Amino acid sequence: MAGWILLGLIAIAFLWIIVVYNGLVSLRNQVQNAWKQIDVQLKRRHDLIPNLVATVKGAMEFEQDTLEKVISARAKAVSAAGPHDKAVSENMLTEALGKLFAVMENYPQLKSNENTMQLQEELTSTENRIGFARQFYNDMVASYHIRQEIFPNNFVASLFKGFKKEEYYTADEADRAVPKADLSIRKK
Amino acid sequence: MPLTFVQVEEEKNRRIWIFFLVLLLVYFAALMGLMAAWAQIFWIDDAALFRPRSIFLLVLASLITASVHFCFSTLDSVRFLKKNLSAAPPDLRDGIHRRLANILQEIQVVTGNKRRIEGAVIPTLAMNALAAVDLRGNATIAITEGLLSKLTRPQLEAVVAHEACHILSGDCLETTVAASLFGLPAAVIEKLSSTWAPQARLSPAFFLTWGLLKLSHLFHLFISREREYRADAGAVRMTRNPLALVEALQLLSRNWRGTGSIGNGLEMLCIVNTAAALTDESDGWWADLISTHPPIRKRIEVLSKMAHVGLSERIAQTGPNTGAGTARPAQPVFYALDPRQQWQGPYVLTELSALPWISPLTWISDGGQAVERAWKTPMIDQAVFTKRLTQEEKKPSDFICPSCRQPLLITSYDRTQVFQCHFCGGLLVENAKIPRIIARAESLSTERVQSLSKAVMRKNQTRRMERHLESLDRKTIPLRNCPKCKNPMTRTFYTLAYLIEIDRCSFCGLTWFDPDELEMLQCMIVNKMAADPLERRTA
Repeated sequence: MAGWILLGLIAIAFLWIIVVYNGLVSLRNQVQNAWKQIDVQLKRRHDLIPNLVATVKGAMEFEQDTLEKVISARAKAVSAAGPHDKAVSENMLTEALGKLFAVMENYPQLKSNENTMQLQEELTSTENRIGFARQFYNDMVASYHIRQEIFPNNFVASLFKGFKKEEYYTADEADRAVPKADLSIRKK
Repeated sequence: MPLTFVQVEEEKNRRIWIFFLVLLLVYFAALMGLMAAWAQIFWIDDAALFRPRSIFLLVLASLITASVHFCFSTLDSVRFLKKNLSAAPPDLRDGIHRRLANILQEIQVVTGNKRRIEGAVIPTLAMNALAAVDLRGNATIAITEGLLSKLTRPQLEAVVAHEACHILSGDCLETTVAASLFGLPAAVIEKLSSTWAPQARLSPAFFLTWGLLKLSHLFHLFISREREYRADAGAVRMTRNPLALVEALQLLSRNWRGTGSIGNGLEMLCIVNTAAALTDESDGWWADLISTHPPIRKRIEVLSKMAHVGLSERIAQTGPNTGAGTARPAQPVFYALDPRQQWQGPYVLTELSALPWISPLTWISDGGQAVERAWKTPMIDQAVFTKRLTQEEKKPSDFICPSCRQPLLITSYDRTQVFQCHFCGGLLVENAKIPRIIARAESLSTERVQSLSKAVMRKNQTRRMERHLESLDRKTIPLRNCPKCKNPMTRTFYTLAYLIEIDRCSFCGLTWFDPDELEMLQCMIVNKMAADPLERRTA
C-alpha cells in the first residue's frame, strides 16, 4: 500500500515538473519573440528614413548638416552588429531624427505638404511601435523572471541549464536625464 | 496584473450565462403573462396554468425562444452594429484616418499581437468612441469622425488604448452581448422610424423602441462601473500617458456625445455615456446599480492622481515653453487660452502683448484655479491693451466698447465720423447718421458680406417668427450697456424689413453694430434683400 502511495507521489511530482518546465520553455520563446519584434520595428524605421530625407531635401537646403547626421546615423544603425552597438547607434538615430523633426517645424511649406506629413506620421508611429515593443519585451522578461524565481518553481528552473536570466531593455543614461528646455530657437 | 487576461475568460463566460438567464426570465414572464391574459379572455381556469406540466412547457418554450434570440443577436453582432452606425474601416488615403490605423497597429504591438482588432470610423460629428467584440471573435474599435478630428495624437492613442483594454480584458464581450440583445434592435427601429413622418411619434415603433430600451436597461444592473476605471488604468499602463486621457475626457465631457446619432441602447459600449445623465455623474449604491459609466470628474481625478499633478501644473505642462517662468521668478506670469482652446504659457506681460491672438476677451489664468477675461485683470489691461491703443494713430473717444471694455477710436466710415473698437471691430453710430451711411454705400459689398447677409437674414427670419409665435410680451435680457450713458441697450432688428440685429440706446440715440453688421445692413438695403412680410408667412 505504502509503495503505491510513494509511486503516486513520485508520479505527481514528475507531472508537476513537466508542467513547470513546459511553462518556462513557452515563456522563454515568447521573450525571444518579443525581442525579435523590436528588430522588426527598427527595420521599418530604417526603411522609412531615406524616403523622408528625399522628400524634405529640396525644401531644407540650409539644413544639410542635420540631414547628413540623420543619414550617417541610419547607416551606422543598419550596419551595427552586436546588441550593445545596436543600442548605441539606434539611440543616436533617435536623437538625430528628433532634431530633424524640430527643425522641420520652422518650414511651413513642409508642414502643409501632405506627403511630408504622411511620412512624419509614419515615423512617429514607428517610434511609438519601437517604444511599445520594448515595453512589451520588458513585460515578458519580468513575467519570465517571476516564473523562474517563485517558490517552488525555482527548484525546477535550477534543475535545467536552459533557463537564464534575460536582460531588460534599459534606457540610455542620457535619456534618463530630465531634458532642459532650450529657448534660444523660440526667441529668434 | 497580466495584460492578456486569459484567466478572466471563465468569469466572463459566467457573466454571459447570467445575461442568458435574464433573457430566459424575460421570455418566461412574457409567455406567462400572455397565457394569463389568454385564460382571462377565454375563461379558462387559472389553476391550469400553474400545473407542473404547463409550467414545464412554458419553460421549454421560453428556453427555445431565448436560445434562438441569443444566437441570432450575438453571433454576428459586430457586423450588425457597424451597419447600424454606418461605420466604415479607416480610409488609408486620408491623413487623419491613417493615424488611427497606425495607432491600432501600435496597440497590437504593445499587446504582443495577441488579438486582431479592426478599426472603424463612424461618420457623425458627435464625439464618442466604442469597442465591440462578438462571440465569433471579431473585435472592433469605432471612433466618431468628430472625435477623430479633434484629438491630438497622444490623446487618440489614449482613447484607442482605453477601448483596446476593454477588448483584451474581456469585459467588452459581455457589454456587446448585453447591448445586442435588446439595445441593438431598439437602435435599428429608432433609425428606421426617424425617416418616417414626424406625426408618427405615438406609433407602435415608438412604443416598441421604448419597451426594448427598458428591457435593455435591465442589463445595466449587471454591468459594473468599475470596468471603466479598469480600462482607464489599463490605457495608462499601455501608453504611460495619463494626462492625454484626462484631456480627451475633458474634451468629451464638454461636447455632443452622440445622443440621437448613436442609438440609446448602445450607450454601454461607449467611452462616455451618449446622454449626459445625472445618475452617471453621481455616487452611491443606486447610481452604482443602474449606471454603466462612472462620473467623468472622478475618472479625471483618478487619472490626475496617477500623473501626480494638479490643475496648475497641468496648464504649465501643456504650455510650449515650460521652464521659462523659473528663470524670471520676480515677474508675474499668466496662462492664456488660445483660439484653438489650448492653454498656452506661462507668459510675462511683454510676451503676452506680443501674442497675435490676444484680445480683451481672451481667458487668462495666473496658474491657480481662477480664470478671468483679460480685460478684468488690471495689470494686463494696462500693459497690453492700453499700450496698444496709444500706439494707434486714431484718437480714442470717451466711449468704452460694450464687449471689450476698451476705449473706442474715432474713425471715418463712408466719410462720416463713427466710433470703432480696435479689438473686436464693432461700430458705434449715432442714429441720425445711419441713413446717411446706408445711402453712401459706394463700393459693392464683398462676396463674404453678401453671403453672410443672406444667411443671417434667413436665420433671423425664423427667429422673428418664433418670437412672434411664442409670446409677444416676453422680456428680453439686455446684453450690452450704452457706451455713453451706461444704461442697458435694447436688442432689436434694424427694421422689420431688414433683419439685422442691433443694440440701441433709447436715451442717447446711439446704435451699436457688432463686426460686419453695418456692412451687412448696407448690403441688404442696396441689394434689396428685404425679408418676407410676417403676416403672409404666418397665415
